[in-house]
Amino acid sequence: MHGDSSNSNTNTIINNNAANNGNAANSNTMPPPCMVREQDQYMPIANVIRIMRRILPTHAKISDDAKETIQECVSEYISFITGEANERCQREQRKTITAEDVLWAMGKLGFDDYVEPLTVFLNRYRENENERTSLRSEPMLKRGIDYGPSMMMAPYGAGFHVGHQQGIFDGVTAMGGYMRDGSSGGGGPSSQASLANHFDPFGQFK
Amino acid sequence: MRQAGTYSGILSGGISGKTGPHLLPLARIKKIMKKSGEDVKMISGESPIVFSKACELFIKELTQRSWMVTMQGKRRTLNKEDVASAVMATDLFDFLVNLVSESGNSGEAPPPLELDTFASS
Repeated sequence: MHGDSSNSNTNTIINNNAANNGNAANSNTMPPPCMVREQDQYMPIANVIRIMRRILPTHAKISDDAKETIQECVSEYISFITGEANERCQREQRKTITAEDVLWAMGKLGFDDYVEPLTVFLNRYRENENERTSLRSEPMLKRGIDYGPSMMMAPYGAGFHVGHQQGIFDGVTAMGGYMRDGSSGGGGPSSQASLANHFDPFGQFK
Repeated sequence: MRQAGTYSGILSGGISGKTGPHLLPLARIKKIMKKSGEDVKMISGESPIVFSKACELFIKELTQRSWMVTMQGKRRTLNKEDVASAVMATDLFDFLVNLVSESGNSGEAPPPLELDTFASS
């Protein structure tokens, strides 16, 4: 009987897996438990990556440590803004951090380019909520046209050139409502090129 | 059933009601907000919603600036050092300086760009 070698067989299997992974020492295969990231303090990495890919050209690759770094930066951003918003609430002796507090904090901390698109976003959300509760219905198309400029492209302006333009204008071409000259949103490369030259996201706010 | 329709290009998934799909999980956002300080008491329902869109804008801006550094190095893989360089070169991201340097930046990052010239005025 070779039963006495059963334990060593189990160990051998583990060692073989390590060898199959190209590691000479099996201690390199598994990260020690203390090095596992606590994920619930971050945005899910799949969501983060999905948003990154919308802005990057299709051929771009992202290293794992870059993904993690950006994931950490997002959490830091939320904390940073929330801290400022919370201070304001305390000064004004209010207990609840509101959306307005968040927007105010963003403006104060330099993210003023975000405030306008976020305000539009919030107003549309509120309209949506009111409609749901009051059971009114309006034609979707009517709301779509006066939605306003793309909220995603504001900080970048027309000067930004990426090797592959498609990724950059992703959000804009999807917005049927933006093209004020009446052409339906997005079209071929020529419409994107003209958008690059004449892009003025806040034109209708001036 | 409400059509995602006009909203889908902007909100990518649509707001189809209070519990409709947003880009980033609201409960997670709320958790991170609460962790930001001992004295964070109550958070309105709309705050995480504003953040879900704000974080999207933030990720896009940080990614874009990082990619510019990658391109400057004639590479196609956006790595952590590119993110660190973008943070160093952008005043708006000063609050991230400690975060990107504490895990040991290799020190081989390219010279800082003047990325703020691309910011909208």
